[in-house]
Amino acid sequence: MSEQTNQMRDLMDKTLQRGMKGFQFIRSGAAEVGLTPKELIFDGGTLKLYHYLPVNDEIYRIPVIIVMATTNKGFLFDLIPGQSMVEYLVNNGFDVYMIDWDPPLMQERGLRLADYTHRFLPRCIEEVQANTGEEDVNMISYCMGGVLALIYASTHTDGPLKNMVCLTTPVNWEEMGLFHLWSNEQHLDIDKLVDTLGIIPADFISSSFEMLRPAQKAAGQLRVWDQMWNDDFVKSYRAFQRWGDETLPLAGEYYRDCTRELMWGNKMFKGTLVINGEPADLANITIPMMAVMAEHDHIASYAATKPLLDLVGSEEKNELVLKGGHVSLIAGPNAIKRMWPQVNAWLGERSV
Amino acid sequence: MSNDAPPNPSMQFQEWVTQWERAVDEFSNKVMGTDEFSRSINQMQGLQLEFQKNFGEMMARQLANLNMPSRDDVIKISEDLRALDRRLAHIERTLNQLVTRSDTGSPRKGPARTKKPPPQET
Repeated sequence: MSEQTNQMRDLMDKTLQRGMKGFQFIRSGAAEVGLTPKELIFDGGTLKLYHYLPVNDEIYRIPVIIVMATTNKGFLFDLIPGQSMVEYLVNNGFDVYMIDWDPPLMQERGLRLADYTHRFLPRCIEEVQANTGEEDVNMISYCMGGVLALIYASTHTDGPLKNMVCLTTPVNWEEMGLFHLWSNEQHLDIDKLVDTLGIIPADFISSSFEMLRPAQKAAGQLRVWDQMWNDDFVKSYRAFQRWGDETLPLAGEYYRDCTRELMWGNKMFKGTLVINGEPADLANITIPMMAVMAEHDHIASYAATKPLLDLVGSEEKNELVLKGGHVSLIAGPNAIKRMWPQVNAWLGERSV
Repeated sequence: MSNDAPPNPSMQFQEWVTQWERAVDEFSNKVMGTDEFSRSINQMQGLQLEFQKNFGEMMARQLANLNMPSRDDVIKISEDLRALDRRLAHIERTLNQLVTRSDTGSPRKGPARTKKPPPQET
């Protein structure tokens, strides 16, 4: 049979499947995500601390806590089976915990940056220590979760944190591209915004993300239509779509602190950040650190994340730069092939 | 004889989508990456906030006159219920933990924490 005939048959077959599966796609509800078995061990209002149940007879001594970004749900790390960093770590013998954020209530609008770094993180660490009987902990943190973890680490230098992995964590906020421009101090009335709204709505956050790549959503829809016959592609697309749709609102005072101290003052980069009366200078951090960044990150740009290892005082530093974007870094093909194994190897050695 | 493979419509479509996405994003980023745009969206946002605040206050007054709860009142009740729910769940979990700990001793048992990293490939 000629190649043209084969191609025509394939085209017909895919068109037929596209029609049938497209109908199912439209009728389907939200994608099932976050399926790795877990238990809730602490509910701290706007945060939940989960423990992923170990599957091996033997696990590493030091538990690892994943600190999720405050703008999004943690199931990015546990998207679907086979595309889940949590599942991968659990299967490789890590004792995994996750700090996952919930929408703050209006009565929690007064939460400040210091509440996250000096109240929530220490409390979660205490819970993990009580749950495991181990004093030491390691951390994997993502985006703003990384910022919180860095502030915690720089102000708790004698604490139980032994090793850190920071995934696409912005430190030089002047390099935050359009975000930095749009929140220009001359134009943005942060006090009016926070005082009027109290809670910064999820729509506000998600539309800021979408404005960075205005065609991304439509292009994604075209791609999924084209690939409708491909069940794995559709499954993954739906999971990512759900994650994007579930952007979280933010406590107003926390947003004001981040805007003033980080976006305007760029104090983390300058080493002048003071949180809860304590200097949060990254040079104070001396524990081993791995920084993972994405070359084509449109949210926390490569230039914004790159200086991290130069700023910390750690002697053991490991940098991993991957092709890909802000989200695919965690659950995309390059993450599965390169990021997860490297984090596994680096953190495994330091978890005994 | 030509060695050219027949065109693959799916591949062509994907390439077109990628190019279209890149072109739209680049153009939009150029337009939105100006100081003028930043000033405009923040001005618009300021006006919207002003309107939202004034309209909210006016509606709250009207609803109070009609002896009906405002949006803020409803949010407050809903949040109080959620907060109560959280506290109940917390009490339930604490009780469960106490029962488990009194049965097995603290901290709870799990797999041995003795795993060593696999030898690195050279």
